[in-house]
Amino acid sequence: MMWLAHDPVLTAAFACATLPFLSMAVILIFTRPYQRLSCAISVGAITVCLGSALYLLITLRHAPAPVEYQWAWIISSDMVIPFGFLLDRLSLLMLTIVAVISFLVQVYSIGYMHGDPGFSRYYAFQSLFAWAMMTMVIAPGMLQLYIFWELVGLASYLLIGYYYEKWSASQAGKKAFVMTRLGDIGFFLGIITVLLGFGDLGILHMNHAAQAGDIHPAVVTLGALLIFCGVVGKSAQFPLLTWLPDAMEGPTPVSALLHSATMVAAGVYLMSRIFPFFAASPDAMAVALVIGTITMLLASTMAFVTYDIKQVWAYSTVSQLGFMVMSLAAGGYFAGVFHLTTHAGFKALLFLCSGIFIHEYHTNDMREIGRGGGRKLTIPMICMTVGALALAGIFPFSGFFSKEAILGVLAAHPNKLFLAAGLLGALMTAYYSFRLIFFILFPRETAEPAHHHEEAHGGHGHGDDHGGGHHGHVFWAMAWPVMILATVTLVLGFFQNELQSYLLGLEPAAHGHEAAEHGGHGLGHYLLLVTAVSLAVGGVFFAYLEFGWKKATQEGFLRKFPAVENLFANRWYMDHFYRKALDLCVYCGFTNIFTRNDRRVIDGGIDGICRFTVGGGRAVSFLQSGMLQYNLVLMVAAVGVLVLVFAL
Amino acid sequence: MLMTAMEFAQFPILSAILFSTLLALLVILFIPDDRPKLVKQVSLGFAALGLALSLYVYFAFDPQKGGLQFVERVLWVKSLGIYYFLAADGINVPMILLTAVVLFTGVLTMWELEKRVKEYFALTYLLVAGVYGVFMSMDLFFIFVWYDVSLFPMYPLIAIWGSTRKEYGAMKLTLYLLAGSALILPGILYLWAVAGGTTFDLFELQRLGFDVQVQRIAFVMLYLGFGILAGVWPFHTWSPVGHVAAPTAVSMIHAGVLMKLGAYGILRVGMTLCPEGLVYWSDLMALLATIGIVYGAFVGLAQTDLKYVIGYSSVSHMGIVGLGLATMTVDGINGAVFQMFSHGIMTALFFSAVGYIYDKTHTKMIPELGGLSKTMPKASAFFILAAFCGIGVPCMSSFWAELLVFISAVKTYPVRGILAVSGLVVSALFMLRVVQKTFYGDKNPKWEHIPDVPLFLASPRIILVGILIFFGLFPRLILDIIQSAVVPFVNSL
Amino acid sequence: MNSLSVYLTIAAVLFSLGLFGVLMRRNLIGMLISIELMLNGANLNFMAFNRFLAPEPAVGQIVALFVMGIAAAEAAIGLSIILALFRRLRSINVERAQRMRG
Repeated sequence: MMWLAHDPVLTAAFACATLPFLSMAVILIFTRPYQRLSCAISVGAITVCLGSALYLLITLRHAPAPVEYQWAWIISSDMVIPFGFLLDRLSLLMLTIVAVISFLVQVYSIGYMHGDPGFSRYYAFQSLFAWAMMTMVIAPGMLQLYIFWELVGLASYLLIGYYYEKWSASQAGKKAFVMTRLGDIGFFLGIITVLLGFGDLGILHMNHAAQAGDIHPAVVTLGALLIFCGVVGKSAQFPLLTWLPDAMEGPTPVSALLHSATMVAAGVYLMSRIFPFFAASPDAMAVALVIGTITMLLASTMAFVTYDIKQVWAYSTVSQLGFMVMSLAAGGYFAGVFHLTTHAGFKALLFLCSGIFIHEYHTNDMREIGRGGGRKLTIPMICMTVGALALAGIFPFSGFFSKEAILGVLAAHPNKLFLAAGLLGALMTAYYSFRLIFFILFPRETAEPAHHHEEAHGGHGHGDDHGGGHHGHVFWAMAWPVMILATVTLVLGFFQNELQSYLLGLEPAAHGHEAAEHGGHGLGHYLLLVTAVSLAVGGVFFAYLEFGWKKATQEGFLRKFPAVENLFANRWYMDHFYRKALDLCVYCGFTNIFTRNDRRVIDGGIDGICRFTVGGGRAVSFLQSGMLQYNLVLMVAAVGVLVLVFAL
Repeated sequence: MLMTAMEFAQFPILSAILFSTLLALLVILFIPDDRPKLVKQVSLGFAALGLALSLYVYFAFDPQKGGLQFVERVLWVKSLGIYYFLAADGINVPMILLTAVVLFTGVLTMWELEKRVKEYFALTYLLVAGVYGVFMSMDLFFIFVWYDVSLFPMYPLIAIWGSTRKEYGAMKLTLYLLAGSALILPGILYLWAVAGGTTFDLFELQRLGFDVQVQRIAFVMLYLGFGILAGVWPFHTWSPVGHVAAPTAVSMIHAGVLMKLGAYGILRVGMTLCPEGLVYWSDLMALLATIGIVYGAFVGLAQTDLKYVIGYSSVSHMGIVGLGLATMTVDGINGAVFQMFSHGIMTALFFSAVGYIYDKTHTKMIPELGGLSKTMPKASAFFILAAFCGIGVPCMSSFWAELLVFISAVKTYPVRGILAVSGLVVSALFMLRVVQKTFYGDKNPKWEHIPDVPLFLASPRIILVGILIFFGLFPRLILDIIQSAVVPFVNSL
Repeated sequence: MNSLSVYLTIAAVLFSLGLFGVLMRRNLIGMLISIELMLNGANLNFMAFNRFLAPEPAVGQIVALFVMGIAAAEAAIGLSIILALFRRLRSINVERAQRMRG
């Protein structure tokens, strides 16, 4: 381990790539019965990782070239799969985001999961999640990325299905795993395509070669499309988007982690990671752009009608991810990554705030929370409003800046349809997020809140004893991360220029595409800005008219179109379609046919042969009298005959 | 590879492993019937000895040098050219280690056995001696003899200690495997006779070489013969039935090690002696393997018996081995051998985990179980980990094997390769379905009284999980050894 | 009269007597004794051939010794089988042992 001590950068990277794994192992093997200790180990590990990530970010801020470390993980014939670290601007930024969000979520969970019987297990899985995600982020090669990508999927399966005694939770975990696995098959085949067509899976090599045109265009297009399948699965793009809303079955901090910095962000990260490679194939970019647009619009419509507070944020995540994919596919490298960054912050904020409400009122229904007196919890209420403002893209919150950047990119795209879609998306986002806020802020029937509160408490098995005062350490463990995130959301937008010069300073690859994005602050730009903001404000106002205003019916305009409302509420019947397809093809189709074949044809044939043999034996068994000496006589006679035949 | 008639480079470690097993058999036979505890202790002692010796082989084997190591070669019957020829190379070192591990954990798993303990362990040791013999021998005659030695004890082991249609399962298994041997023996004798009837030495025969036509005929006989044992579709139906019927540790040895004998035989005998035959039949091999992978996963989806599910997953996973062999590339065969090893450990873990559950609940029907994670979280965790390994979760050893096989399969047979890769979704679906239905869900009052598995009884599973994860994190520790044999092997094709 | 054919005739007679006994006796002990008779007939053949045709290597004598050894083993096993059978059937009549009837 001498080499570790000599290179602090390597030590830091190494810490990020091993400590959470060790903490998981230690918790699962040794400290499962000791909840506090397990929690301390996990939080300690993630704190060290956070420190390491910040250290790396600061020391390598001005590094002229990406720092790369590699060891051979597997050597088979001429194929070498390395394990290592690629520390460049993008990966360090993402590493920091992951570490920060994981850290905050873990701290928050001390409060949220307090008293849960599976507390240790929860922290072990959190560590696994952090480990997989961080090691994926700093992967130098596609295969390592794929490996940890799969592990992220595993960790999310475990965390989504955390309340495994609930059938729906385990179902949701399974669904998430299988659906993302479906996309991963494409990803895997894409990697093989690149391997066969180009022969090198180093991310930097791939990017350079694709840009320089060293890879056959067909390979690039096919590879990019197949790899995009992985993005579709992981980042819940159309048509594999339905697992994400179901994934709300996990504990709320898990949703926050899943939706902001890990799991779903992995897809967008992958796309930006090999952005030059994608950019080398206009066809793949076009497909991605269309898919992103469809996803964004579809998911927004779904958010119109649900009353589940977490579901709203889930749909909004899907739609924002679609937005990021649109940006990347339209060539806006920085805008996509910037939105990924700001979104990580405010989406974590939104989920964690919702978590406080859910923890307090033991319901996910926004109307119930409103009636229960949700607005009296000032800190989360204010923070959630901040998050919603950022999500809606209102100045001066971080979401405003990143959305503007993306809209700028879309404006530069020759096909203005995408810009229109983007603006429409902004309007819808503002509408549904404030629909939720107003539901909580202006409840209609004010049922006796205190009584309700009491009842809910008794009925639920959370077992925490924060009694009358909500402001015990449980509450503060949850409140502090929320406040930190709210501050970040407020401030982050103003660092757009710093972030941009940081990210692009080193990526000349992506720079070409940024020209359009940051071309000039001409009249068109201001026009766009004004349009976008007014649309967002319009959305908020529309939501106020329908849900906030004293005389508002709180029904929503969709109530007038029941067919459309049904369509939205049933997620455009996508789940029904999958269910049917699964039943028809898998359960009733292949499974049934193959099983029958096994029983009837193969086994039937074998058993038939056996029966025939046994029957034949029966038929001639009358010769067998059971008398020993008859057999002997027969034998002697036979020998005699043989002697006669051969001797004569 | 010129060798004198007798050559002992060092202490005959391979013979020591082989004969310690037979010695164990003898010793167990002389222990009085009424001392089952002693039988178990002696069995465990010999299993530990075997494990220690095979660990020594694993560590002492030098992958840099490659080739045959620990060679022991004695002329046995001069007129027929039979040699007592044991050696270790990169392909069988992992197999020997696998056998030792599965035997050791199998003995631990059966610690609570009460019925005819002495006979059970004696037969197990006979079985394992046969397995060791096949893995170590480099002489066709001995390969065949040991192969048959390993088949025979299966019948009583299943018929006496088994469950669920045990007579049917035992009979079916025996008939299938003997049918396999009936193909292997003429295959071997055919090659022997064509080569002049002077030697059974594998490498001598390889050097002599065979006519293309001869190779084609012999290869298909050997492929089908060994393939039956390897669970090649459509000769796989004995395996789920046999697994279900067999007692826990026999299932472990059977699915974990015995099925590998088949794949190993194809590789060691068929592919070494008949490379031209392999080239000719490889298309068919790849096709059958791909069908096996997808088919096994789909049929597994419909099963309601835990052990049937594992049985069909074995069919699917052994398909991956077959696919790797059929690619005839270094990566593919590396992956196939690695998969043999990790699948062995994985299924042993599966059966061991199910064994505990079955012992306590007396059922292995999935609809009757459910919510087991609540009452016995540790016992469930082992099964769930095995299921993850079966799905091909990274950082568990079978992931690497599958990765290598699939990469080379897509390269060599694009369509079949892609089909096989898509089978991964189905296998994920069926594994997770079983995990969900058996272990998740609300607490089942029927099983509430069952204690979680104590540390000693969990120890075999801990060892197996440890191995899976260890080689998953550090795959080179085993892949370099495998590679040292596979590279020259493929170059000689 | 001191020729090979005499010995062979005696051996053939012995063998046939034994064979007749095995086929006709219903008593298991009797059958066992008859088998001994057959073996001794064969032994006599070996000795005779050895003496008259190839006296030098004395292989015939060795084989005869082998046969005696085998006969002893066979008697031991045969008697133990008979004993086991007797315990089960309470009889040593071979007609009672008819489990293998088809």
